[in-house]
Amino acid sequence: MPREAEPSQNEKDFILKAVREGHRLDGRALDEFRQLDLKFGDQYGVADVTLGKTRIIAKVTAEVTVPYTDRPFDGIFTITTELSPMASPAFEVNRPTETEVLLSRLLEKTVRRSNALDTESLCLVAGQKCWSIRVDLHVLSHDGNLIDASCLAVVAALRHFRKPDTSMEGDTLTVYTPAEREPVPLSWLHSPFCITFSFFGSISVGEDGEEKDIWLLDTTLLEEQLRVSSCTISMNKHGEICQVAKPGGAPVEAVTVVQCSSLALQKVKDLSDFVDQKLAEDSKHRNKGGLLAELSAENAR
Amino acid sequence: MPLDTSTYNLALLRVDGRRWNELRQQKGQLGVQPSADGSAYLEMGNTKIQCIISGPNERDLSKSTSSASTAPTSNGAGATVAVSIMIAPFATVDRKRRGRNDKRLQEMQTTIASGLAATVQGQSYGPRSTIHISLNVLSQDGSLLACLINAASLALVDAGVPMTDYLVACTAGSTSSYAAADEEADPLLDLNTQEEQELPFLTLATLGATDKVVAMVCESRVQLTRLEGMMATAADGCKGVRDFLDGVVRDKGELMVQEGAIGRGEVVSSMDLD
Amino acid sequence: MSSTSQHLLLSPAELAYLHGSLSLITPGPIRPDGRSPTQFRPLTAETGILPGTNGSARICFADGTEAVVGVKAEVEKTPLSPYEFVASTEGRKDHTQKKSGSRKSKKATGDEEDISMDVDEEAAGANDKIRGSPDWVELSVEIPGLRDDDSGTVFLTSMLTEALLADGEFVKKLWINRRFHWKLYLDIILISPPLSYPLPLLSLTTHLALLATRLPRLKSEADEDPMFDDDWAAATFLYPRQDTSAKASNKSSKPSSAAAAPASRPPITLLVMAVGDNIIFDPSKEELAVADSAVAVSVAEGPASESESEPEPESIPATTTKRNLQLLSVRTIDPPSRLTPPGVPNSVNAAAWGTMTAATPTTTTAATASATEGGAAKHPDARVTETEDVVGVWKAPRGGAKFGMLGAMVAKVLEREAASPRSQGAG
Repeated sequence: MPREAEPSQNEKDFILKAVREGHRLDGRALDEFRQLDLKFGDQYGVADVTLGKTRIIAKVTAEVTVPYTDRPFDGIFTITTELSPMASPAFEVNRPTETEVLLSRLLEKTVRRSNALDTESLCLVAGQKCWSIRVDLHVLSHDGNLIDASCLAVVAALRHFRKPDTSMEGDTLTVYTPAEREPVPLSWLHSPFCITFSFFGSISVGEDGEEKDIWLLDTTLLEEQLRVSSCTISMNKHGEICQVAKPGGAPVEAVTVVQCSSLALQKVKDLSDFVDQKLAEDSKHRNKGGLLAELSAENAR
Repeated sequence: MPLDTSTYNLALLRVDGRRWNELRQQKGQLGVQPSADGSAYLEMGNTKIQCIISGPNERDLSKSTSSASTAPTSNGAGATVAVSIMIAPFATVDRKRRGRNDKRLQEMQTTIASGLAATVQGQSYGPRSTIHISLNVLSQDGSLLACLINAASLALVDAGVPMTDYLVACTAGSTSSYAAADEEADPLLDLNTQEEQELPFLTLATLGATDKVVAMVCESRVQLTRLEGMMATAADGCKGVRDFLDGVVRDKGELMVQEGAIGRGEVVSSMDLD
Repeated sequence: MSSTSQHLLLSPAELAYLHGSLSLITPGPIRPDGRSPTQFRPLTAETGILPGTNGSARICFADGTEAVVGVKAEVEKTPLSPYEFVASTEGRKDHTQKKSGSRKSKKATGDEEDISMDVDEEAAGANDKIRGSPDWVELSVEIPGLRDDDSGTVFLTSMLTEALLADGEFVKKLWINRRFHWKLYLDIILISPPLSYPLPLLSLTTHLALLATRLPRLKSEADEDPMFDDDWAAATFLYPRQDTSAKASNKSSKPSSAAAAPASRPPITLLVMAVGDNIIFDPSKEELAVADSAVAVSVAEGPASESESEPEPESIPATTTKRNLQLLSVRTIDPPSRLTPPGVPNSVNAAAWGTMTAATPTTTTAATASATEGGAAKHPDARVTETEDVVGVWKAPRGGAKFGMLGAMVAKVLEREAASPRSQGAG
C-alpha cells in the first residue's frame, strides 16, 4: 500500500516551532485561508474550486429513475467521491482509503443529512418516477484541506446546477429539453460549509502558565501530516451547526472547541458571501443577451 | 415515531422516566473472556457491548487487509491500535445485517481507534506491535459510539495496557428539534434510540474527568448557541461514566485480593497474574 | 480448510507423541486434558441473555471459546405456491385458454391442478396441511477475522443449516396459516478468536437458543391476517415443553413451566474423530491435529411418544432407550492433520548422521503429500519413509476413513447421546 512521503525530522521541528511562534511556512496568519478561486463550467452544475494548490472539480448530473421503495416521495441524491492516484500517490484506484471514507461521510452528513437539498422536490410521480441527482467529486490535486474545499465545490455545483423542466398533464410526464424550456434550479434550502481546525498541541501563555491550544485553518498537506488532531465543523450562515466531527486524536480543551465553533460561523459567512457573489457573476455572464433573463424564473440569490 | 416532547415540559421527565441529567443504568464486568488478553462487558441501558482485546502482538501483515481501522500511538513510535466493530444482526428491533464495509461503521472504528491512541501509552510495546480491539454489539439502544468507547476503555484496563486515563464518552441532546427557534432548550443526558431519532445530539469523549475533548461527533442540525450547553452536559455525563468505570475496576481488584489472586499491597505489576 | 488449521504450532515429534497416546488400546486413549474419550469439554451456558430477541443463548467452553446466538422472528407473507396460484385464478385461466385455443396438454395439467386444489382445501379444513419451506430459515455465522464469504464460514453455515432443515419438521413449526409464516433469523456470532474448530460450540449454542426461542401467541384464527398476543409471558416455545404436551390450548396457559424438559429437541451437530481404533468426542485443537479422520454428526430428537416416519433411510432408531433419536446428517471434516509436515526418521536424517547424502534432507522434509516421484525413486530410503509407517515418526494421515470406523463413530454418537441428556435448557 503506497504511503505519503513523511516529512523529515528537520522539517517537522521547523514547522512546529514556527507554528508555536505564530508563523506559517507560506506567511499566512494562523486563521487565514489560502487564495480561494471558484470557476463554473460552460455546462450547468460544474464547479472548479482551487484552494492554494488543492484543486477539486464537482459535477452534478440528473436523470429520471424509479425512487426507492421505502421512500416513494423522495428523490435520490448521492455524492460520490473519488480520490485517484492523480491527486496523490497515496491513493489507489478501487480501494477507498480512510481519508476517502471520512471525506465522503463528512459530505454526506454536511450536505445530505442536513437537508440542504429538498429531496421531496425531486419527486415526479410518487413511487414511480423521480429525479436522481448525483454529484461526482474529483480531486485533481491534493495539497491539504480536502474537506473544506470539497464541501465548497459540492455546494457551489449544486447551487449552479439546473435540471430540465418538467410538466405533468394527466398521466403523462414531459421532460423538456433546454431548447424548449429554460432548465430550473434545484430546490435549495440552505448552504452548509465545512471549516476544519487543525490542532498542534498547546503552549502556555500568560504568567500563570495557562495552557492554550494552537490551531490552524486551511492547512497544507505538510501541516496536515504534522497535526495532532483535527476538528471539522459544518455550519450554514444562519448559525445552525450541521455536523461536528473530531475523530479522536490528541485531546483539546472543551473551551477551545466552543471558541472554534463561533469562529467557524464567521468563516462560513465569508464563504457563503463568496459563493453568492460568484454565482451572481456567473448568471450575469450567461444572461448577456437579456432575452434569457426574461425567460428565467430565477431570483437573484 | 414522533416523540411527545410536550409532556417533558410538564413533569420534566423523559420517555423512560429519567430526569434531564440522569444516566441510564449501567452494568460493567471485567475479564468475561478467559481466552482473550483482555475483555469487558458493558451495558448502558439496553445497549450491550462485549469487547475482546488480543495483543499487543506482532503486527500481522496478512491481516492488514481486514476491515479494522488502525491508528498509531505516540506519533508512530508505539503500538498500533486496531479496532473492528461487529454489530449483531439481532441488535436492533428490526433485524438488519450490515456489511463490513459500511462507511458509518468504518467512521466509528476510526474515531475509536484514534481516540484510544491518544490515551494508550504504546511506546512500551514498540512500533511493530498491534493491539486488536474487537467490539461486539449485542443489543443497541442509543449512544452506540459512546458505549463502544467506554467498553473498549474498560477492556484495555483488563488487558493491562498502560493508559494515561480512562477514555470515557457520553451523549447529550437538546429537548426541542432544530426547527424551533427556542434557544433556551434544556439539554438532555445519555439518549436512547427513541430520543436520538427525534432530537439533535452529540457524542463527546473526554480524557477521564477532565474537560479535554478527545472525540466529538454531532450528526444533527442544531443551533450554534446550544452547543456549549450540550457539551457541558455531556462532559458532566463523562465524569459520571468515569466514576462508574473506576468503580468496576476497583471492585474487580477488591475481588482479586479476596480470592487471593494478588496479595494486598503487592506491586501493581503482579496484576498480570490474572 | 483454513479455520481448522489455524494456530497450529506443533512439531512432528509432538504430533507423533500425541497420536501415539491417543491411539493407545489397553488403557484407552490418554487425552492431553485428561478427559475420557466420550467426555465433552466443561462449559458454562446461559439463555435469554438478550430481551430484544425471540431467543438467545451464550455458551463459553472451558478453553475460552465463546459464542452468542440470537434468534429473531418476523411474520412474512407466504408466496402462493403454484398450486394455489392456479387454483385462485383457475376460472380466468380456463377462460383465456379457451379463447386462445390452447393445446390439450396444458388443459390436462389444468385439470390435474383443479383436483389437487380440492384436496388442498379439504386438507386445510382438517388443519393438518402444514407445509414448510427451507426459505423460512436464514442462518448466518460470524467469525472474527474471517470474511463473510470465507470458505470456512460458508461451510459452517451450510452444515448448521443442513442439520436444521434435514428432516423438514423444523420449518413446519414456523407455519402460521396458509397465507403467513414466521421467518426465522438465526445469527450465530463467535465472540472469541477461533481457537479450536468452532462447529460443536456453534451448534450447541444454536441448540440452546432454539430451545429458549419463543414466538408470540397467535390470537387470530384460520387464514385471517395474523394477530398476536402482546403479553410476552403468554408466548409459546418453539419447542414446546414436555408437560404442556401437544395441544395448543394447554401451552398458552402454562408459560411458567420453563424447567420442564421439551418434548423434542433441535438438532445438535457433534464433532467426533478417530485416531487409530479409538473414537474421541469433542476433540480439542491439538487432538484434531492428529486425527485420522473427523466426522460431524447431526442428531435430533423427536417426540418420544409419537412414532414418526423416519425421513432418512440411514436413520437409526435408538432401541435401547425411549428417546427417539434421529440421525440427520454425517459430514466428514478435513482434519488439519493432513497439512502437517511429516517427521524424518533418523535413518534418512542427515542431521542425525543418516545414510543420505547432503542433498536429500530437502527432498524428505519438503515431502508432504505431494513429494516428487523422481526424488523418491532416486533415494529408496526416502521412498520408504513416505509409504511405510516408522514407529514414533509422524506422518500425515492419508486416504479416507474406513467404512466400519465411520459406522462405529455414528453409532457411538447415538449411543452416547441417548445415554446422557445434555444441556439442560434455561439456566
